[in-house]
This record gives sequence, structure tokens and C-alpha cells, in this order.
Amino acid sequence: MRRRSAAVLGLGILIASAAGLGAAPTLKPFERGTWQSVLRGHAGRPTLVHFWGVTCGPCKVELPDLGRFAKDHPDIDVVTVSADLVPNLPAATQSMLDKAGLSSTENFIFSDGFVERLRFEIDPAWQGDIPRTLLISREGTVTTIEGSAEMADLEKWSSQQLGTH
Amino acid sequence: MIRALEGTRTMIRSGLLGIVALAFLNGAAPAQMHAQHASEAACEEPSLRCATKVTPAFGPDGTLWLAWMAGGQVSVARSQDAGRSFSAPVPVTTKRLNLDWGPDARPKIVVDRNGGIALAFSIFRDEAFNGQVLYTRSADGGKSFAELKPITANNESQRFEALALDQDGTVFAAWLDKRNRVAAKEAGRKYDGAGLFFTSSRDDGVTYAEAKLAREGTCECCRLGLTFAAPGRPAVIFRNIFDGGVRDHAVMTFTDISTPGEIHRVSNDDWQINACPHHGPSLTVAPNGTYHVAWYTNGKARKGLFYAHSRDEGRTFSTPMALGQPGRNPTRPYVLAGPAGTVMVWKEFDGEKTSVQMTISRDDGETWSPPKTISSTTDTSDHPLLVSNGRQVYLSWMTKADGYRLTAIEDQP
Repeated sequence: MRRRSAAVLGLGILIASAAGLGAAPTLKPFERGTWQSVLRGHAGRPTLVHFWGVTCGPCKVELPDLGRFAKDHPDIDVVTVSADLVPNLPAATQSMLDKAGLSSTENFIFSDGFVERLRFEIDPAWQGDIPRTLLISREGTVTTIEGSAEMADLEKWSSQQLGTH
Repeated sequence: MIRALEGTRTMIRSGLLGIVALAFLNGAAPAQMHAQHASEAACEEPSLRCATKVTPAFGPDGTLWLAWMAGGQVSVARSQDAGRSFSAPVPVTTKRLNLDWGPDARPKIVVDRNGGIALAFSIFRDEAFNGQVLYTRSADGGKSFAELKPITANNESQRFEALALDQDGTVFAAWLDKRNRVAAKEAGRKYDGAGLFFTSSRDDGVTYAEAKLAREGTCECCRLGLTFAAPGRPAVIFRNIFDGGVRDHAVMTFTDISTPGEIHRVSNDDWQINACPHHGPSLTVAPNGTYHVAWYTNGKARKGLFYAHSRDEGRTFSTPMALGQPGRNPTRPYVLAGPAGTVMVWKEFDGEKTSVQMTISRDDGETWSPPKTISSTTDTSDHPLLVSNGRQVYLSWMTKADGYRLTAIEDQP
């Protein structure tokens, strides 16, 4: 109990203190209902949501590419969600995000043990394979990329999105 | 692989972040409640009630043994009354370890004809989540366990071990191992996935032979299905990486305990993906030699859970049969050839609760009964597993909300 409580408590303190300082929160808990608030929060803006995990080999390779994509495309909202469910993850997750240049994007971490329900809210057909990237257009159309995304596909999608003002 | 679907944005306000932050500011008690909610475990002690992964095995005398992960430890207990009560847990680990908590990881346990117990599990060895397979044994009927040892001296990442017991008491172990990526990297070659490695122990799990490679280029993040097709002939099913990065399933039957055989494709699902599906297959071989397999795919050719059988020692397989209701996210299939038929179970989720569905075939996999709900729960749960004592097949299922359940499969004689 102690170690996991400490980890979650640490995450809470991180969130609370970041909010208190007026800084952008780093890792946010992803819980029941979070998906709908993410959709609502980015409504009308082209948004890339990336699901990944620190224990997933292909994710480690893709994350820095995504960091470069986020830097090069300030008009695309980039959101990451760590969907691994191994304990003591916040520090490792944050560290990998920092190294990938994703410190300042909106970053979540799965924080509900009932992962079937979390995944069902996002996509009833998703069985948990990661990486997984959802491209959400201004109109709310969701395109799902299963597995590692081709950066060329992301470039193409973002040009389409930014060209439709 | 791109799939487009119409998404709708709803205006439900959750305000969850505010609630969470408030809970933390209000002191330890809400934080603990939140920790339990956020965790897959009901509690954080090493007891069975707090377990997230529970693996069953029947001993030759009909005793049910469970090995489980809870509170960062692995423990074992036995039941003489089909899971109604359990002995005091015996710790296998002496300290809290960084256990592999991945979705397809769990401790493995086999009980030999003399009551000796062989056990193996994975830990994360470092902060990069490189795995290590550890093993131990009990020679005193589960009263105590030997010091944990690595199953191989190699220090590259190992995960997803599986154990099976041969008729003569030989313990066979297989796992996924990334040792060859080092040489590939040095030679400037691309290295995908992992290698399927194996070893065996002829001294009841005291020592294991040097690890050998069975197959390079397997998917690195799915459980293996392992059994004996015949004495001295292990059979393993795994998610292979076929040409073009297609992660479909293959079966390999060993020529003997130390000689890998050819691989045979179970089905051409055409799942080309560079990802960790975290969703491995299941294999059982009936006494008449029929191979029964169940697996998950999200390929171009088919999507979902499937079953097939082979009547030529795993060389060719029947046309895949879909399992479960597509709208209910069927997952985690498990198949076991039992004394009264071949049984399959899997999970379905309806948006609120998870159920275990069961179907049985009494004609060696030709026809199957209509699926039936045999258990359900309203919070997270382990994979549903099947275990047989030679007379009856049971569902073994750990749930967060309702604890551990051993359920006799109905219609058994």
C-alpha cells in the first residue's frame, strides 16, 4: 500500500503544486470520464491523442518523433496518454516525455484500475494495444492509427487540417 | 493501418481533476481510497485478496495450488476443498520486487508427480523496464521455496515465461528474450521483436540447462501458450512476426525436449502492426493429439477472438471460428481439453461489467455449445483461466471486487 499510495500521492502533490504555482500541470490522471473532457477541451481544434506506455518497445522509438512533430506543429494540439498499468510509473513516464521533448504537451496517465472501462469509453474496439494515435479533426472526425504512426501520415493529416481554415 | 470513424463530442462535464486534487489536499485517507481505485488491486498486502494475477495448478493428489502476485510479492497457497478454503500463504519472495505487472504477465506454477513445485515469474530489472525471469522450487510440498535464481545467466531483457511439465517430470520453460538485439545493433541490422528461448530441468526445477534459441523474430509483448503434445515434445503457440511486420500466430512442436521444430502459421489474419498487442494466445492438446488454439487478432483478414484446431500435429489448422459478441470487446481467450470436452472461456465487457463467457465442444472442436455467462464482476479482473484435476474443468478467475473464484464448469459429469 505504502509505495503505491506514495506514488499516487506524489502525482497529486505534483498536480496541486503545479496548479498553485500557475504552471502548466504535467502528468494528469486519466480516469472515468476524462476522455469526454479531453474531447470537449479540444473541440474545434485539430488534436492528436497518442496512447503509449513505458514498457512498450515500439513506443520508445516513436515518442521522440512525436516530440519533434509537436514542436514543428504548434497549431495541432498534442495530447499523450500513458496507458501502461504497472506501478510507480509517474516518474518513468515523465522522464520519457521530457527526453522526447513532450514536457509541455497535455500529458495524462491511466489512473483507474478498471482499464476495460477506460478503454471502452475511448473506443469499444480497443483492446489495449499500444502505441495508438487518434487524429481528431476540427469537425470531430476521429482517425485511428494502430501501432507506430508514420510521420508522413501525420504531416499529411496536419496539412489537411491547417489548410481548411 | 488507419481506421476512420465518426466521433461525437459530448458536453459531459467531469470535473475529475478538481476532485482528485481536492482529495489529495484533504489528507491521507482519501488518497488511500483513490490509490485503491486507481490500482488493479483491491488492497496492497501480499494476501490472495489483494492479488491481481492468480495462476492455478492441480497437484497429482487433487490439491489445488495457487501462485499469485500481490503487494509486490509472489505467494503460494493450497486448497483441499476445490478453492473454498486455502492454507496460510507461503511467501516465494522475501522482499517486495518490481514484478512485471504487464497485462499478459503472471507467475507460473507446475506441480510434479511427487508434489514438488516449480515456479517462475518475471521482474523488471531496471528503470528501462528490462525484464528478468526468476525461478524457484519447493521440495517440501510447498512449505518453503528455494532462493530465487535467474533462469538464464544472460542479462538482456526476458519476459513472458511459460512452464510445462513432461510425463517424466522434466520441467520445460520457454520465454521471450532480447539478447540477440545487441549483436544486431552492433552489426547495424534492424532487430524486431524478441527471440523465443527455452530450457529444461531434469532435476525437478533445481537447475535448468543452458538457454537455447527456438525462433528469432517473435512479437515481444504477448504471453505464450505452452503444453506437451506428447511425451518429450513441447508445443508452443506465440505471436510471430511474419514478413512485412505481420504479427500473426504460429505453433511450434519440438522434435524432442532440446530440439525446436518448424513453425506453422495458425491463420493468415494479416495483422501488420508495429505495436505491443499485450494479448497472447492459448493452446491445449487433447489426449487424441488434436491441437486446439484460441487467439486475438486485429488483422485485415479478421478481427476479434478466434478458435481453430489441427488434427495433423499443428501443421495445418481449421478455418478460424469467431468467438464472442463483437460489440462487447471479447478478450483473453483460454482453451483447455478436459475429461468431458474441450472448454473455452473469454471475457466480455458491456460498458459496466465484465463477464466470463464459456463454450464447450464434445466432438473434439467440430461444434460448440452456445456461449454462456458463467461469472461476472463490476470492477477490474485477471484473465479467466481454465484448470483441470483430471476429472473436472474449473474456471479460475481473480476479480478485484469479488476476490478469487474457482467455478466448476457446468455440464461436466
